Amino acid sequence: MQLITLSLGFILLTIAIYFAMTVLYMKVHLPFLVPIITTTIVIILILVLFNIPYDTYMVGGQWIDKLLGPAVVSLAIPLYKQRELLKRHIYPIITGVLVGCLTGMISGVVLAKSAGFSKELVLSILPKSITTPIAMQIATQIGGVPALSAVFVIIAGISGVLLSQYFLAFFKLDSTLGRGIGLGVATHAIGTSKAIEYGEQEASLSSVAMTLSAIFGSIFGPVIALIFYG
Amino acid sequence: MKILIKLLQVAVLYGFYLVGNWLHDILHIPLPGSIIGLLLVWGALSMKVLNLKWIESGAHSLLSVLPIFFIPATVAVMNYGHFFSGKGSLLIPITIVSTFLTMGVASFVSQSVAKRIAKRKAGSECS
Repeated sequence: MQLITLSLGFILLTIAIYFAMTVLYMKVHLPFLVPIITTTIVIILILVLFNIPYDTYMVGGQWIDKLLGPAVVSLAIPLYKQRELLKRHIYPIITGVLVGCLTGMISGVVLAKSAGFSKELVLSILPKSITTPIAMQIATQIGGVPALSAVFVIIAGISGVLLSQYFLAFFKLDSTLGRGIGLGVATHAIGTSKAIEYGEQEASLSSVAMTLSAIFGSIFGPVIALIFYG
Repeated sequence: MKILIKLLQVAVLYGFYLVGNWLHDILHIPLPGSIIGLLLVWGALSMKVLNLKWIESGAHSLLSVLPIFFIPATVAVMNYGHFFSGKGSLLIPITIVSTFLTMGVASFVSQSVAKRIAKRKAGSECS
């Protein structure tokens, strides 16, 4: 009984904070107030303040986490509805995603390695642009720490959601194609949730980019690990 | 009634997710179940096996609150704070720089390839 109360409590808390933060974001439309960031911060603050461990939060949180799977499956719908757009841009999509995906893995490894971090850490940072479950699989395969990879994936996603708007506008990369592909490749599903804000075309481009990037990443990730640590 | 239909549609999407997980396990496909499920739904829609109407409103409900499903995962960052103290704090700017390099390169390449193709098309139409 206590467990059910606890689960329900954390589920309702998460939903309530998320909707409050969504209302805030709609009223004050500032990029760093996107609900995914503000909700995360508020929940962490509450947990720390009341000395609640993460595992206790997950008694309820796991139920929300379970819906992530079907939510990702749902991205097939914008993908399908925008199939003409995707067909029209097939070459820009494939080349952009391939080059971007390789850039993400290689630049992360080069930067972390030259800063003198251990092999384990460097290899954990390698798959950071790829969606969490695959990033964790790649990390396991190449000798990184999956849980740490998940953290880097989240840092990549959140920084992308936070700053992409300014970054893409500054470099004139903010066409529909540029936004969709850039967000999908560099910031996976978290970025795709930002792309949905722009519209269905961006959302579908971003989900295609994320999916393709996951496929390229699982093929080339181990190769890049071998090149640097073979 | 509408809510019931939506819930049923979400259940169908969940079913695809489970099938994706199952395929991942038995065929050792290096993609997570959710992405395999996405490809399955997309394939089924393209081959007209699945009607868009059967899942659209449920999918739309999930996508309209997509960020909330990431919250349990992002809150986990609180357990890794110690990794990012001291020298480890460098890992954050490294991740961010690499992320924007990735984003810039991906956007730039896709935009310039699209431009080049458009130019070639325009050129061949003129000649």
